[in-house]
Amino acid sequence: MLGDEHLQIDVRRERDRVVVGLRGELDLLAAPVLQAAVESPEIDDTEMLVIDLQDVRFVDSAGLRVILVAYERSQQRGQAFALSRGSAQVDRLLSIAGLDEHLRIIESPDELLV
Amino acid sequence: MGERSDGQPRSTPAQPVSDAGVSLLVEAGAVLASSLEPATTMGQVARLTVPELADLCVIDLLDDDGSIRDVAVVATQADIAEQLERLRASYPLDPDGEHPVARVIRGGEAELLPEMTRMLLSSFAQGSVHAQFMIDHDYRSAVVAPLPVRGRTLGTLSVLRLGDGARYGSDDLELVCELARRAALAIDNARLFSRLQGTEQRLEAVLASVAEAITVVDEQGQTIYANQAAAELLGVGSPGELTSAAPGSIMPRFLVLDEQGRELDLECMPGRRLFKGEQAEPLLVRNIVRATGEERWLIVRSTPIREPDGGRVLYAVNVFENITEVKRVERSESFMAEASRVLASSMDYGETLGRVAQLAVPQIADWCAVDLLTEQDTIERVAVHHSDPTRLALAEELDRGYQPALDEPEGVPEVIRTGEARIFTDIQPDALAAYARDNQHYELLSAIGATSVIIVPMAGPTKTIGAITLVSAESTRRLSSADLALAERLGRRAGTAVENAHLYTERTRIAHTLQQALLPESLPEIPAAEVEARYCAAGELNEVGGDFYDVFAYGPDGWILAIGDVCGKGPRAAGVTALARHTLRAAAMSGQSLSEMLGALHQALREQPPGADMCTACLVEMKPNSAGASLTVALAGHPPALLIGSDGVAKQIGQHGTLLGVLDPINVTLEHAELKAGATLLLYTDGVPDAGVAGGEPIGEDGLIELCGRAPELSLPKFLEHVEHVALERARGTLRDDIALLGARLLNRTASQR
Repeated sequence: MLGDEHLQIDVRRERDRVVVGLRGELDLLAAPVLQAAVESPEIDDTEMLVIDLQDVRFVDSAGLRVILVAYERSQQRGQAFALSRGSAQVDRLLSIAGLDEHLRIIESPDELLV
Repeated sequence: MGERSDGQPRSTPAQPVSDAGVSLLVEAGAVLASSLEPATTMGQVARLTVPELADLCVIDLLDDDGSIRDVAVVATQADIAEQLERLRASYPLDPDGEHPVARVIRGGEAELLPEMTRMLLSSFAQGSVHAQFMIDHDYRSAVVAPLPVRGRTLGTLSVLRLGDGARYGSDDLELVCELARRAALAIDNARLFSRLQGTEQRLEAVLASVAEAITVVDEQGQTIYANQAAAELLGVGSPGELTSAAPGSIMPRFLVLDEQGRELDLECMPGRRLFKGEQAEPLLVRNIVRATGEERWLIVRSTPIREPDGGRVLYAVNVFENITEVKRVERSESFMAEASRVLASSMDYGETLGRVAQLAVPQIADWCAVDLLTEQDTIERVAVHHSDPTRLALAEELDRGYQPALDEPEGVPEVIRTGEARIFTDIQPDALAAYARDNQHYELLSAIGATSVIIVPMAGPTKTIGAITLVSAESTRRLSSADLALAERLGRRAGTAVENAHLYTERTRIAHTLQQALLPESLPEIPAAEVEARYCAAGELNEVGGDFYDVFAYGPDGWILAIGDVCGKGPRAAGVTALARHTLRAAAMSGQSLSEMLGALHQALREQPPGADMCTACLVEMKPNSAGASLTVALAGHPPALLIGSDGVAKQIGQHGTLLGVLDPINVTLEHAELKAGATLLLYTDGVPDAGVAGGEPIGEDGLIELCGRAPELSLPKFLEHVEHVALERARGTLRDDIALLGARLLNRTASQR
């Protein structure tokens, strides 16, 4: 079974942003969990949404899609959106998908966006 | 008395006093040792002196506020004592005045007043009434001795003779001083004791008011102290009931379990371990009141009180912290997290519900059963669990013979019809009898021995699809309203999961059929080249969508090899796979460039309703030339193609480009390469490098490049099969994502190929 201790999500509010911290593997099984988190009305009023991928080992195309859902949502809400870097596999995926050219990629979830 | 006053003069108090005096001191010693309560003690001392030593005896003490207060007045005639007490209440002695008592208290020296004249009496009287009283009662002779202790004077002991009695002499002075010293010591002890008692009372007051239950228990198990919280926790009316209870008579009222629900030997409790000389770590226990089934979670901490030399443990002080609420929330959350994980792990809801039932036992209840409403409006039991297999057989027998019908008034049918949860506590035999259909049914129900039952609806997004039943029986634990709330959450979660699974199964079936139908049945023949494809769909857990590939003519003598990965939600994503292929084909036929073709697909996806339907694609234009074929690669969010040389060394070709359907504008950069004889072109979807088990290392880009080393020695179909085989092996048969492979090689048969 694929579902063992798959993905842990920690949503925290920090100054101007909500950081959705992920740990584990963001794949098909885990994607709905993240989708529920980014669709939560709790993050409607923040200026910025950061998906923190630092502790994510693996993202697949379903995971990528949810990241993009989160991005589209924050566009609709008029929020800034950023991703923090993950493992080599994750960075490679972001690069292959061309996300590094379109989305703000930051080194740390606390990094200031000007 | 006269003998005494006539006795031999004594020069110092250190010398022995008369025999009568000795007997008085002995008597006084007994009195003083008998009581530690100051007022009582002083009354007794004063009484000792009357009438042998005095006609009137007054003991005065200096109060903390500096005033002088008589604490004992004893006279041969009771009315004199009463009058004097009233008088002293009205005319208290001036501590700074000339009254001998005030002087002795100030100076600490005894005074002997052998003969008191009217003038002398008047000189220290506290006003004319006082003076008149002393004159009227014929005050004659007096000794006023200090009550000395630890360098201070606590007050005075005064003895007086009235009327014609003998006058006091120096030996009387010594005796009274000696008596006063002993009385002072007794008063001091009594005060220290009462202060200690005050401290104990304050401590008790503090302990009584703290929320934690506290008991002090001796080695025999006798409770010698308990506060109110302890009485409440242990279910008795007052702390006194605990301290008077025989050792071991209270605890059998409780079932004491460890965190995992195993019964605990009371000898393991920290308090008992202390007496055995063991370490007593705080212990978390689950405590169930046998009488009511109420469950509490307690942290028990014990601290020893040892003998003064630090040796033997005299008492264990037990502090019980009630963390039931905290624990209940924590357990609910962890249970729900676990249940959600189980429910999300598989779309086979029959199996999943069985696992949820297992999860509920014994954490929440002794039994758990899950019933679903079928399409024919019958109720089907899909899961039942009990930790004891022999008891499980009972439930199965019940299911076979007495599966309820939907129109029954009570129980599971009622909950499914109304969508309202029910809780039954304190189930009595007559209630069972009323519910049972016949004797055998009643016997089975009785054998199950339910004490409380919760039935909650499994509420899907659109309707109630079943019910979950939780039964508490032999564990004595009574299901509470907190359990009901948790069960309702479980019911909603499971209901959603099952209804989704229904929809999903339907969707998956449609989507997979569609998708299979939408992939090309066979690839076209290309002059001078062979092309091969392999496709392997991921397991049932896959979202709808999937990989696609295609090969079609492009321009007068060119070909397009296309591969891609659609990721979206809902059945329409399956349609996106078809949309992708047809859009690319149509754009190719109208003569658009690779970049324009990808742009056309991007636009087509953007025109879909929002929802982040996205697609990655890799297009390779292959144009035969004299040396082999020229290749042009365009990537949109897709991993690069691999060009494997005849030496087995693979090289990535293609520049990263934006995936299609979400982000504007897309950037695509073309890259050119040459396909030479003996070389292999491999297009793949990321299901290949991503193949692996959760938490394990997937094949990865590097692993795939390494696999390419086998290409020169294998035929193209064998090579693709090999790659797919390794990926499946790495994923232990459960792919996370579809795998698609598309390969091309120039027709250039060499002897080395098998």
